[in-house]
Amino acid sequence: MPDRDPAPAPGAALRTLHARGRLAAEYPAVRELLAAADRDTLDFAGRVLAPLDPEEVLAHHPDTPVVRVAVTGRGTVGELVPALTAQLARHGILARTRVCGSGGYLGDLADPNSPLYAHRPEVTLCVLDPLTVWDTVEVPWQPLEVSVAAERRRKVLGELAQLHAASAPRGATLVLNTVPLLRRFTHQLTSLAQRAELGGLWKQFNADLLHMARPSAGLAVLDLEPVTSAGVRADEPRLGTYAEAHCTADLLTHYAREAAHLIRGLRGEAKKCLVLDLDGTLWDGVLAEDGPEGVTAAGTLRGAAFGAFQLTVKQLAAQGVLLAVCSRNDAEAVRRALAEHPEFPLRPDDFATVVAGWGSKAEGVRTVAERLGLAPEAVVFADDTPFERESVRAGVPGAAVVELDAEPALHTERLLADGWFDTPALTDEDRLRPVRYARRAARVSSEAASADHRAFLATLELRVEISPAREHELARLAQLTLRTNRFNLTGQRLSAEQVRQRAAAPGAAVLAVRAADRFGDEGVVGAVLARIDGNRLRVENLLLSCRVLGRGVEEAVLAGLLAAAREAGLTAVHAVWRPTRANAAVRTLCPRHGFRTVTGPGAGPKAPPGSGTAAGPAAGARAGSDREDGAETGVQTGRGTGAATGAESRAPGEVRFEHPLRTLPPVPGHITLRLRLTGEPAQPTADGTEVGACAPSRS
Amino acid sequence: MRTVEELIELANAHLGTALAPADAERELTELAGWDSVHLLRLIGLLEQVLDRPVPVDAVLQARSLRDIWSAAVTA
Repeated sequence: MPDRDPAPAPGAALRTLHARGRLAAEYPAVRELLAAADRDTLDFAGRVLAPLDPEEVLAHHPDTPVVRVAVTGRGTVGELVPALTAQLARHGILARTRVCGSGGYLGDLADPNSPLYAHRPEVTLCVLDPLTVWDTVEVPWQPLEVSVAAERRRKVLGELAQLHAASAPRGATLVLNTVPLLRRFTHQLTSLAQRAELGGLWKQFNADLLHMARPSAGLAVLDLEPVTSAGVRADEPRLGTYAEAHCTADLLTHYAREAAHLIRGLRGEAKKCLVLDLDGTLWDGVLAEDGPEGVTAAGTLRGAAFGAFQLTVKQLAAQGVLLAVCSRNDAEAVRRALAEHPEFPLRPDDFATVVAGWGSKAEGVRTVAERLGLAPEAVVFADDTPFERESVRAGVPGAAVVELDAEPALHTERLLADGWFDTPALTDEDRLRPVRYARRAARVSSEAASADHRAFLATLELRVEISPAREHELARLAQLTLRTNRFNLTGQRLSAEQVRQRAAAPGAAVLAVRAADRFGDEGVVGAVLARIDGNRLRVENLLLSCRVLGRGVEEAVLAGLLAAAREAGLTAVHAVWRPTRANAAVRTLCPRHGFRTVTGPGAGPKAPPGSGTAAGPAAGARAGSDREDGAETGVQTGRGTGAATGAESRAPGEVRFEHPLRTLPPVPGHITLRLRLTGEPAQPTADGTEVGACAPSRS
Repeated sequence: MRTVEELIELANAHLGTALAPADAERELTELAGWDSVHLLRLIGLLEQVLDRPVPVDAVLQARSLRDIWSAAVTA
């Protein structure tokens, strides 16, 4: 039998693992194999990974991130599962998937006791196939009948979304999609005028669906039009007719790719930085041969193609994607080439950092990450040279690698083939991020010039303001819970809606940490999620952007909180640390500030008793979504009003702390701190530090 | 594709199944690890290998791998 093509290396390695029954035991290797896998390998991977028992993988690798997914839809949608499993595995995420009743999405979503909700999904994919709406239209029909049926269906979907919000675990997301309009329907109308009317009303139906989307609040809508317009056929009439499987495998594969990026984005795992090669990537020519003046990104046909690619890159940067250069060239030549081409869309100050030299690109990418204070896996690397890509794949595990080639007119499409930077919603912070990172670089060089770190800090004129988050800051706080990995006491992820609910709960102290110094205003750089519980302040999570670490802000936040708690007449502050993949460094944060480690129940920041709205620390569905240990407990306790029960059970590895407020640590001398637990203005204290004495309402 | 054994090889190579030639006559419902999703994918694979359409209705009604092979190859 002819194999259609010779198996590429990742495919062969994957087949070997499967043949030896080692997929679960060597699951981390699967991610690496799939990083560079072709379409056939991904297809095969889905077939062999989907039947794998997630428990078996977790038994070998308890740290594997897990997501609980329910799949439902109109028609047969089981074919989506292998594709989705492979796409998630490609991101290192293990799927616990449940396919619900074929074609029964109405019952699945409307009935709170359905098997779908029993699965406790963090994400529910409701696949609307191309027969959606048409299954209720009777022959003979006019555009008007289709319009009525479409509007009725959209309303039903809106109601189902509300029911999903009520019955799925808190923080879960329902994913709908736009419905492709098939030619075999449009051309059943012979009148061109009516056909145009049908096309118009169908687009309105899809537009209305898209307008319902609120990805930060539990409803996402995937737009399939860009997928079908790129040449993916939507329907398979034979399998549709004979097996109710109306979507083509191709469409479901693309759907799975988009859905996997959506899931990554919801989990706060969007990539943060795009690292670009120069020769053959951003410009035409070879710098070492053509010289700084000889490279082009305008003026010639090929040059203009590079210019167009640069514009795409600039567009990404405008939304908070940090840009960096990693080039094998002399640093001075790179500097000149970037500076001496005012006609290039990308200017030197568009790049947060530039690494040029003759070391390996893997080394270069790691240097970029280090300079920007990012984890190396937060990076996307794009290069037209296979050797360099392999070097980064092998040397920077977890970084995404974009394969460009010798055709610059295809660079944009290749860069955007995967939604590496997809995020539920943008905040003002995103748009300002490149400027802030540039300032960070300025601080770093200023620090390098300063003989001693303490003297440097004193020159910063650092001001930190901590007070209840304002309405417009809630989305930013949610984003911090999603994006902050290192300085994150618990790793709990929250949507904007969940942050809002917490802030509205009685006794809540949901605080934004803002920082500014002589280099500029940093905006909201951290969050304190706390709550007054009797005479105690319970800190449920504390987060700070990596951008501000090393400047004493963390000390100021903790010292300020403790002082504010004492001023408010409280007797203790409680906090908790839960291990995640990246937060080992903050385990000692509380002890370093005079907290003692406590054992026994009730010492941690438990959830408000009987509260169904304010999530306890382990209560949000997102809480466990990317953490092996919290995956189960998080979702279980997140259902209904069970939050309080989950509070007493500790997550594995969790450490609880208590500060008796007798001896308080000082606020670092170089920081001017203003802190309020509530909205009322604070009174200045003798040392110039203002700490709000007002306790939040305990109603 | 000349024999049902080649069909079995095709399934094993692309679906990750561990079917043996002896499984050719068994009911599909009795085959370990076989499900309806496999059958849908197998139709696509058969059409790629044969480079022509197969009678989808007949393949979907097949009760054994030999039935599938007969419907697809001898059609």
